[in-house]
Amino acid sequence: MYVDKQGMEIKKSDLLQGTLDLLILKTLAPGALHGYAIAQRILLSSRETLDVQQGSLYPALHRLERKGLVDSEWKESDNGRMAKFYTLTRAGRKQLTDELEQWQRIARSINWVLES
Amino acid sequence: MQWPWRKAETDLDREMRYHLDTLADAFEKQGMPRAEALRRARVEFGGVEQVKEQCRDESRWRVFAEVGQDAGFGIRMMRKTPVVTAAAILSLALGIGATTAILALVDAVLWRTLEVPQAQQLTEIFWQAKEGRTTELYRGASGSMFPDGPVRVADFFSRVAFESMSKQAAGRAQLAAHLYPSEVSTSYAGSTAVAKLRAVSGSFFPLLGIRPHAGRALTPADDDAAAPMTVVVSHQYWQSALRGDAQAIGRGLRINNRSYSIAGVLPATFGGIEVGDTVDLYTSIPHAPDMLNPESWLRAESGDPKTWCFQLLARRAPGVSNEALKPLLDAAFRSSWVAQPEDPEAALVIRLQAAGGGLGGLRREFGNPLSVLFTLVALVLLIACANIANLLLARADWRRKEVALRVSLGCSRSRLMRQFFTESALLAAAGGLLSIAVAYATANFAVTLMPNPVRLGFSLDARAFLATLAITVVTALVFGLYPAWRTARVDASPALKEGSGSVGGASHSWVTPGKLLVLGQVALAVLLVAAAAAFTSHLRKIITSETGFERSGLLMFDLRPGQSGYQGPRLQQFYVDLERRLRDLPAVESIGIARIRPMMGGGYWNPVKLPGRPKEIPSAVNFVTEGYLRALGVKIVAGRGLTAQDLPAARVAVVSEDLAKEIGPSPLGRTFSLGESKESIVIVGVAAWARYDRLTHQPNIVYVPNPRKEDSFTVLLRARIPPMQALDSVRRAVTELDRDLPMVEVATMEEQIANTLRRERLFAWLCGSFGVLALLLCMIGLYGVMSYAMARRGQEMGIRMALGASRADIFRHVLGEGMGVALFGLLIGAPATYFAAHRFVNHKDLGMEPLDPAMLTWSIAALVLCAVLAVLAPALRAASADPVKALRQG
Repeated sequence: MYVDKQGMEIKKSDLLQGTLDLLILKTLAPGALHGYAIAQRILLSSRETLDVQQGSLYPALHRLERKGLVDSEWKESDNGRMAKFYTLTRAGRKQLTDELEQWQRIARSINWVLES
Repeated sequence: MQWPWRKAETDLDREMRYHLDTLADAFEKQGMPRAEALRRARVEFGGVEQVKEQCRDESRWRVFAEVGQDAGFGIRMMRKTPVVTAAAILSLALGIGATTAILALVDAVLWRTLEVPQAQQLTEIFWQAKEGRTTELYRGASGSMFPDGPVRVADFFSRVAFESMSKQAAGRAQLAAHLYPSEVSTSYAGSTAVAKLRAVSGSFFPLLGIRPHAGRALTPADDDAAAPMTVVVSHQYWQSALRGDAQAIGRGLRINNRSYSIAGVLPATFGGIEVGDTVDLYTSIPHAPDMLNPESWLRAESGDPKTWCFQLLARRAPGVSNEALKPLLDAAFRSSWVAQPEDPEAALVIRLQAAGGGLGGLRREFGNPLSVLFTLVALVLLIACANIANLLLARADWRRKEVALRVSLGCSRSRLMRQFFTESALLAAAGGLLSIAVAYATANFAVTLMPNPVRLGFSLDARAFLATLAITVVTALVFGLYPAWRTARVDASPALKEGSGSVGGASHSWVTPGKLLVLGQVALAVLLVAAAAAFTSHLRKIITSETGFERSGLLMFDLRPGQSGYQGPRLQQFYVDLERRLRDLPAVESIGIARIRPMMGGGYWNPVKLPGRPKEIPSAVNFVTEGYLRALGVKIVAGRGLTAQDLPAARVAVVSEDLAKEIGPSPLGRTFSLGESKESIVIVGVAAWARYDRLTHQPNIVYVPNPRKEDSFTVLLRARIPPMQALDSVRRAVTELDRDLPMVEVATMEEQIANTLRRERLFAWLCGSFGVLALLLCMIGLYGVMSYAMARRGQEMGIRMALGASRADIFRHVLGEGMGVALFGLLIGAPATYFAAHRFVNHKDLGMEPLDPAMLTWSIAALVLCAVLAVLAPALRAASADPVKALRQG
């Protein structure tokens, strides 16, 4: 039987507006990935605490593509099927560094407030 | 090929499927059965369709996809009612196509400018004078003269006038002269052709500023008679007769048996200086074939100040206006006259006219007709638009419930309007596309009706397509916006409730927008039908008018032996041989030769002077052989005809009945002289009345014996068999006489007459088709609006019948309602037409009588008949409906 994770899970609605874009950009930084892999990678690297509703990835991916931050290409995946792989564009990389910086600044500020 | 938005859709599908499958694989590995794994994957993924919809919102193809949906929906709606849609598209295609064609014609004739630098500086020089005698100033003239209100305007000047005007205007304007174009026979590398040649002064091409395509253009150095004989050819001629030979420059071209060297080829953009110009060759004036011909009067007299044969073109210097130029030219012109007129009022004055669009002969003839045609065709288009608007309105009305439902489900009104507008745009696009074919056909047809030969720079080029596009967009806006706007305003709740059993959920007003549109259509149609009736009956009247001779069975052609080197006694012998050979042909009944081709639209005019009578009698003259009148079929009513014995002396003449009457009670034996000539001529016979130059004109005619010295002439044959069948044997006879002598301008008399009526025929045909089209469109409109009204009011009719109305009552009621709309339209249209015809149409310019009330009455009758026919079907259908079914309906 499959067991739901308990405890530390953050519900999808709790995910801060706009952070999903940042997570996707960050996940794509090392190289091209398809939607499923992105979801797995986020789950993995959040130590299974951040279970993004998998479907909601796609509107975000399409939005990033329309903005020109990511590019897509159909390629064969590990399991032998054709999958749509996304890569960061030059604009996407720049956006990632900008947003990372901003995120860290905010996180630091909030941390200071919370720890004061 | 796949539309991008379609591809986006399949990609989206594949992407989602990949994710779900891979997720399901993972669950399967954990030990779940496949079905369970798939279900689980879908839960984990979230709502697949919602995700897809969200992705679509992010797609850059969203707008296109929606337009695609709208278009697809629109096409489905159209296919539901194929006949109505086809009628709509067809009427639109006819309307747009005809408009484009007329627009292209108007553009070619009126709006184009010459493709030369600063064309707006070009000016055509005319002189004008009040009616009266000007013959003391010039004796011979070549060019054109036309009336303009109370004055006559002419474009010919003497060489002296040209030279003194050029000198006087120096610094303010450049002048160039050219002669009236003439037909010549050419031979290049062994192949012969007929071409049109214009002799021009050396300043002509420098003035226009034309850069030749190859070689050089003519320069002032070519004005020297001793200079080598050179010719410049048009691009068109170079491509056709010289086969685009790049080596042609410097080679020889024989023109009328003289050798010229080809100096250059003009650019393709330069079609000539006249609208519809067909000139192929240009030489300098001293080297013009007419100037070199020893027999030509032009050669003998071109330096004479009383010979006026130069047409003048000027280019004003920047900043110099026509008003500033005119006094200078006037002074120079006056100084060139051989005598000053006694009456200063009657003196000739210079008149300048912008020539940026080229010289305006064709424009003068067709300018006014074309603008009338353009107005008419725009009205046809308007009627077509009204039909489509009606169709869309009706369709929108049928869909009120659908629209209301969508509005209440949250569809935005702008989205709705967009959808309705897409549908009308679709109709317009289909009509526009189809209209290209219509435009092509109409335009080709119109060009064939233009005077021959005209080479209009007329083609369905980018300009014409742009025009079609613009017209299509405008029509789509005109007929599409109102229905779309009206539909989107639908109030949701009453529309949803209506038709739930009660009669008249929506109020059935007597005055619906549809009926108003039809009323307008009928009003416009009156005008179009009346115009069609007027122009066709005008043409009919002319065509059926008496010619004075039997017009069938006659064949004509021109021969130009002079151009093949015949002259003197050899030329005379040629005449004799030709006449004998042709007379011996079994197919030929009789034959005559004339200097002036009958019914050619122009002629040779010289006034008759009677001794002791100061007033001249204007007359047309023709030089004819003794067989001519018999071949033509004109009887001698008094005295005798011309005989072969008259020839050497040539001091006798036969005059027409009209002239005989003007001369006096006993014309036989009386003498007269012609024009300037002092030679007295005896009248030996009177010929029956006959036409001379055209059907609309009946001049006095003097028939003088042909001295058989002219180097070009017209042969007239009366054939025993249909004339075109006789042509073969005639051609053989001429070829046997001289293999290299071409027969030029072969035509039957009927063709020749039709040629002089091209303007009238253009008008009659186009206006006639517009009228028929307008009638058809009106019928469709009326039929549509009444059928629709009856379909919606089936219940009402059912109730009427249930309450005791007979079928005849219902029939009368519907018929009356439809006819009411038509009659209201007529009530507005008929007086408006009458007013417009008398107020805005310059019928004199068109050579017509003002609009006849009888003609208007006929048009109204035609429209009433059509209206009855259109309303008949809906009325019959309403009357034969089953009242029980009608009551249950809805």
